[in-house]
Amino acid sequence: MIDGVKRVGTNEWEVPIGFLPGMRVPGRFFLSESLGRTLEPGAIQQLANVATLPGIIQHSLAMPDIHWGYGFPIGGVAAFSLDEGIISPGGVGFDINCGVRLFTTPLEFKDITGRRDLVDSLFSAVPTGVGAKSSLKVSAKSLDDMMTKGARWAVESGYGLPGDLARCEDKGCMKQADSSAVSAKAKQRGVPQGGTLGSGNHFLELQVVREIYDPEAAHAFGLAAGQVCCMIHSGSRGLGHQVCTDHLKILEQATRKYQITLPDRQLACAPILSPEGKAYFGAMAASANYAWANRQMITHAARTVLSKMFAVDYDEMPLVYDVAHNVAKMEEHHYEGKHAVVCVHRKGATRAFGPDAPDIPLDLARIGQPVIIPGSMGTSSFVLRGTHTAMEKTFGSTCHGSGRVMSRSQAKKKLSGKEVAAALLLEGIIVRAPNENAIADEAPEVYKPSEEVVNVVHEIGISRLVARLTPIGVIKG
Amino acid sequence: MSFVEVPHTADVKIRAMAPTLETLFSDAFAALMQVLYGPDRNGGKKRKITLDAEDQESLLRDFLSEVLFIAEVDGLVFSGAEIHIEGCHLSAMLDGEPFDRRRHAMGTEVKGISYSGLAITRDANGYMLDIVFDV
Repeated sequence: MIDGVKRVGTNEWEVPIGFLPGMRVPGRFFLSESLGRTLEPGAIQQLANVATLPGIIQHSLAMPDIHWGYGFPIGGVAAFSLDEGIISPGGVGFDINCGVRLFTTPLEFKDITGRRDLVDSLFSAVPTGVGAKSSLKVSAKSLDDMMTKGARWAVESGYGLPGDLARCEDKGCMKQADSSAVSAKAKQRGVPQGGTLGSGNHFLELQVVREIYDPEAAHAFGLAAGQVCCMIHSGSRGLGHQVCTDHLKILEQATRKYQITLPDRQLACAPILSPEGKAYFGAMAASANYAWANRQMITHAARTVLSKMFAVDYDEMPLVYDVAHNVAKMEEHHYEGKHAVVCVHRKGATRAFGPDAPDIPLDLARIGQPVIIPGSMGTSSFVLRGTHTAMEKTFGSTCHGSGRVMSRSQAKKKLSGKEVAAALLLEGIIVRAPNENAIADEAPEVYKPSEEVVNVVHEIGISRLVARLTPIGVIKG
Repeated sequence: MSFVEVPHTADVKIRAMAPTLETLFSDAFAALMQVLYGPDRNGGKKRKITLDAEDQESLLRDFLSEVLFIAEVDGLVFSGAEIHIEGCHLSAMLDGEPFDRRRHAMGTEVKGISYSGLAITRDANGYMLDIVFDV
């Protein structure tokens, strides 16, 4: 383990105050010994940087998929008090409300005949990669509604089922959205991109439920062994990227105005209740809503393809859940003997609210919130459930994915996209991408094993395993 | 023009060395276009950018962020840029062509230009740059 880091429990580590000058609270992260071998000093430095921010509560936290990012580490979680705390785009990222959703189908693996055609049809139906534009025209008024209403706008526009909304974090809409804080440039980028996947690690996957660990929770979530599901990973596209870029600039000035000392410019921030802090939060929430509408539109495209090809009714494909993993939220938490609303930043981390927490669908109140953790395209993805332990230890948060271990430049040197696609085909996984680099960049080898990451969160108890799914068809952006 | 990609686990880190600040910015611009669209890029369509910032790092970040914006909304892929810098004022003439899916869908989207790890240093031989693109 990195010098200066202390073990405080099985798979639990502390970065003490003093590791870096100016730390207000210790850092705390969750990692197995074997995952610890891939930990970068830069990620721990970033975890410690976050601990210097004003108003941070208890710990600067990181989940077992921690790795070196910009601003916060990826996998970073931090809560800030409303009276003394700050809000920072560095704790959210450029891709605001990048997130994952999963819907089920009544189909089993044996029902999927003509899988190549299915993957091709999905690849045609969902615009992917650099330069992809939506075939759906979004007017300026519709864009405003997307930012204000989120997934509800999409459902009201015919891109989903009313029942989808209850199965989204925040019901697919942050009420604090303020589209007037979103620049004309961001809106211009948002208009042609509704329903597009993006590129990099974004994907649409057909998966099969291979293993059920928790039958009661799986049943409640609508999951059964052998069932074919569809997982979608995308975010707020150019609109969210521009909001982050624009507000970082405003918040840089605010950082000086409010005399906040920062170890990294990407952590530019303002007091939560300052005009600059409120403007960022409003614009960020509007971008988060755009992302929910976007994932809803992609879901519609995928359901339409499946419905046509397999004579499945559209409404036989309900949503299991939709989670955001790059976002800041106002949430009520219990800490230091009090209940208070705090601003929780999750940067590459997933909300994992336990049983009876607010915002959990009524029919799942006893079980806890569904948590969706994507694997890489050759490895398993997982569904977990949120726990009381997460509420106590991590402000209701858990990991968000596998976490990369190999850079994109190394991946391109070591791996050929053609060979990776061929190796996946041998395992029965069909991959389509706009170019070969996109496949090499995201090969299974470049990620930590997803099993190891979810095993850590399961063992610590910040979420509990429900089901394992493996891919059979992958659309990469 | 010269730049290299330095291994970075999550994102794309670029290192460039150049005799002048203008060449350094031009290298960073070329790296951004290479990451986004691959090597096959021609000229013909011009776009002008002028901006001011408070320091060189902000000037570069703002310049590349503006390039990202123009490339996306105008659907253009740039092959070159003529850049002039005076203090913290930049003017640039970009040269590019319309996005062509068959030739330009070779890269990956860049979500933003990060301040984390952004450093411009100067010594007797010229300038050196480290910059991270969020992809």
